[in-house]
Amino acid sequence: MQTNRSDRERAAQIVRDAGGRIVGRTRMQKIAFLLELTGLGEGFHFEYKHYGPYSDELTKAIRAAAAFGLVNVDEQQTSWGGWYSTYSAADQRGKLSLKEPVSLAMEAAKLDPVELELAATAAYLKIFEGYDDPWSETARRKPEKAANGRLESAKAAYRQLMSIEAPRRLPNIV
Amino acid sequence: MAKAPKPQRIRDPLHNLIPFGSDQFEHCLWKVVQTRPFQRLRRVKQLGFSEFVYPGATHTRFSHCVGVFHTARQLMEIIERHIKSGGQQVKTHQLQLALAGALVHDLGHGMFSHAFEDVGRALDLKYARHEHVSDALIRSGEVAEALGDLGTSFADEVATLINQRGPETLYDAVVSSQFDADRLDYMRRDSLMAGVQNGGIDFTWLVANLEVGTLPRGVDEKKLGDLETFVLGPKAMQAAETFVLSLFQLYPSLYFHKATRGAEKVFTALILRLIRLAQDGQSTKAGLPDFHPIIKFARDPNNLENVLNLDDAVFWGALPMLCDSADEGVRHLALSLRDRRLLKCRDVRNFLIAELGVRPADAAGKKAWETKMARIEELIIERSREWSDKHSKAAPRILIDQEERDPYKRFQESKGPLNQIRMRTSSGKILDVAECSPVVAALETFKLCRLYAAAGDSEAMEAIEQIAGSTLKENQGAD
Repeated sequence: MQTNRSDRERAAQIVRDAGGRIVGRTRMQKIAFLLELTGLGEGFHFEYKHYGPYSDELTKAIRAAAAFGLVNVDEQQTSWGGWYSTYSAADQRGKLSLKEPVSLAMEAAKLDPVELELAATAAYLKIFEGYDDPWSETARRKPEKAANGRLESAKAAYRQLMSIEAPRRLPNIV
Repeated sequence: MAKAPKPQRIRDPLHNLIPFGSDQFEHCLWKVVQTRPFQRLRRVKQLGFSEFVYPGATHTRFSHCVGVFHTARQLMEIIERHIKSGGQQVKTHQLQLALAGALVHDLGHGMFSHAFEDVGRALDLKYARHEHVSDALIRSGEVAEALGDLGTSFADEVATLINQRGPETLYDAVVSSQFDADRLDYMRRDSLMAGVQNGGIDFTWLVANLEVGTLPRGVDEKKLGDLETFVLGPKAMQAAETFVLSLFQLYPSLYFHKATRGAEKVFTALILRLIRLAQDGQSTKAGLPDFHPIIKFARDPNNLENVLNLDDAVFWGALPMLCDSADEGVRHLALSLRDRRLLKCRDVRNFLIAELGVRPADAAGKKAWETKMARIEELIIERSREWSDKHSKAAPRILIDQEERDPYKRFQESKGPLNQIRMRTSSGKILDVAECSPVVAALETFKLCRLYAAAGDSEAMEAIEQIAGSTLKENQGAD
């Protein structure tokens, strides 16, 4: 749903929707995408990248939200040698800024990031690329991520997200 | 007995001789080069409007793609050596997929490449994005047919490799890594052809010191696994620094030159205006006949044939007609490209750097300074856009350019080793090049923020100055 609010305000709203805190860039992007699919989104445009549905607009908007103090971004090193960002909603004075959270975003924020990426990718492939069996296609495109039972776990996570009430249902692919 | 195909050769300004052997694989790739989609790349310039600034930068996507294939073949030798030294067998199918991917990776680029992609983004047109066009052109038609001799699913696998999945095997490193063939060709070719002297890299030494290393990868906080890819050996420290610094130099001096970007903005505005007129049934007003490729694309942008008919030459051929257009916006934009009447540029970032003073050296001060910069830039852009929307008729009177680039290619959403240039130290540890080089560590992401208006539009230029000045004043003391 496109609104007259600035991009940075819309990006900050996604963090509020998820209960005020999102851990990781992947979770941030995939939650925003799932909100878009269910009619709860902020109007960001997504396209397919090899790490799944991704919005460059959202990346820029988050950066702007941080510059305006609407979101605090804390970067920490992981045990595997990478870094992850934690986004927390803030008001202009840096205090936690919460509004009514959105159940779907709250639940998605708790999911394993790999499973969330797989689930969001399958939904994207169904809706935007018309795959009858988007899970097989997801596994074909992301063999390493889909291995070790993660595809099945992603389906279970998706089933759980589908059961949450929203203006529009997630595509029925499980 | 069937005669073996003739080996083929291409002379190239960068690589000199690029041979295509008579074996089945390279003969198939030679057939791909002969297809209509590949030959179209002769009419798509690699650097679009850069020739407005660097008259020599007229090289094409065709020469780049052939050069990427040639470079990929050189890189693959490193991988083959590594595999054989470990007593393993080379997987020919995966090797061939990567080499074929290198050849066709840019097949879908449209006229003026990235400027046309901005049109696609603005109107959400699938086939104005080169990845989608490449994908469709590889999977079906002449290219798929030529690749079909290598297996029924070969073309699909190539398309999947370059457009849908990230690096999954060591072989993929030649098309998807920080030292992939694409970058190793374009950095050298673009600086050679443009004539810029600051984009050189020590290619021979880099390649001589490329090794295979194992890097971890993950998603957000979670580790996923390891991947073998290219890393640099310890003797390539200076070559690595030059590589990163050259890329940084190429952004402002070549790829994001203010005049080139200004011309691209004019082109994008012109095509957007043309598409809107054509979709409103006013192609005559636009100045082009109904059967013109640009009008046909505007009316049916999801038809691949219409996409294939677009190239730089088609646009230049249309320009005289567009200069006579009955639509003021089209005419004005077309004339400015025909006569190289470039837009006036106000570099907002440079203006703010001069006004806000030198960035503090300490981490907290640096962060606060960057945050303030970002906030003021954002406000200036917002206010300029509002002014332009309110005061423009046919074409926007203020054009905005805001971008940022870092020297790393992105292979995962999370920040991690795969998204960095890695070096093996003499003790065997694999580190980020920034951890080994203070020069690289000091480099920041390249950012630009510019506003453009037509040279004669003094009202728009004054509005830009007023907005920039008043926004800075309002925010100067704020933290």
